[in-house]
Amino acid sequence: MKSKKDSVIVRTAFRYAIPLIFIYSIYVFTHGEYSPGGGFQSGGFLAMVVVLSRLVEGDQAKVNMTGDQAFILSGLGAFLFAFAGWLAIFFGGKFLEYDAWIPFDISMRSKHEWGILVIEIGVTVCVMATIIVIYDAITRKGEDND
Amino acid sequence: MFILSLMVFFLVLIIITGIAALEIQDLLGAVIAFSAFSFLAVVLYLILGSPDVAFTEAAIGVVSAIFFIFAIKKLDRWCE
Repeated sequence: MKSKKDSVIVRTAFRYAIPLIFIYSIYVFTHGEYSPGGGFQSGGFLAMVVVLSRLVEGDQAKVNMTGDQAFILSGLGAFLFAFAGWLAIFFGGKFLEYDAWIPFDISMRSKHEWGILVIEIGVTVCVMATIIVIYDAITRKGEDND
Repeated sequence: MFILSLMVFFLVLIIITGIAALEIQDLLGAVIAFSAFSFLAVVLYLILGSPDVAFTEAAIGVVSAIFFIFAIKKLDRWCE
């Protein structure tokens, strides 16, 4: 999307909002098991950063990724989720049974927390990339319409 | 009793904004009515005691509103 009007207010608000959204997204992600939030919401906020950057800065977006990169990332996120489950099967457990493949000598509760952290990373990356792919598909300068 | 009346109040507002989002002929107005619907749903989820669902709705409502507005740029604003 090419921005026709350039507004100082929007650009300044964008510059101050971006770090706050990043930090809030990471807070939501890491505190997902104690408080409301988790991978899905964190991915939504991370995608909001990229969408805001494309909205405000237009073609010169600093915080940006192309639609193809986002497409690959969404597949990688889904693969990370499934890989954490398959790893448990390879080590003799059931699908997504975390205490089968985590080798450290910690309690079962800690193992579950670390395993859930791994699949939440996958969920975050997948949700962020999927929202960017949808946004890119909507705003793409098409060859048939426009 | 106060909580119940609050719930009824927000439920009536949700029904009004939902019908408005379906019936308005101006598509941009329909998107704005849908955003109001989403926000009122967030408040209702909070009253009902599920902050996780409310958080998800708040995050995804903003994203979907942006998507709808950019879809309108490729369409006519008015639907006959």
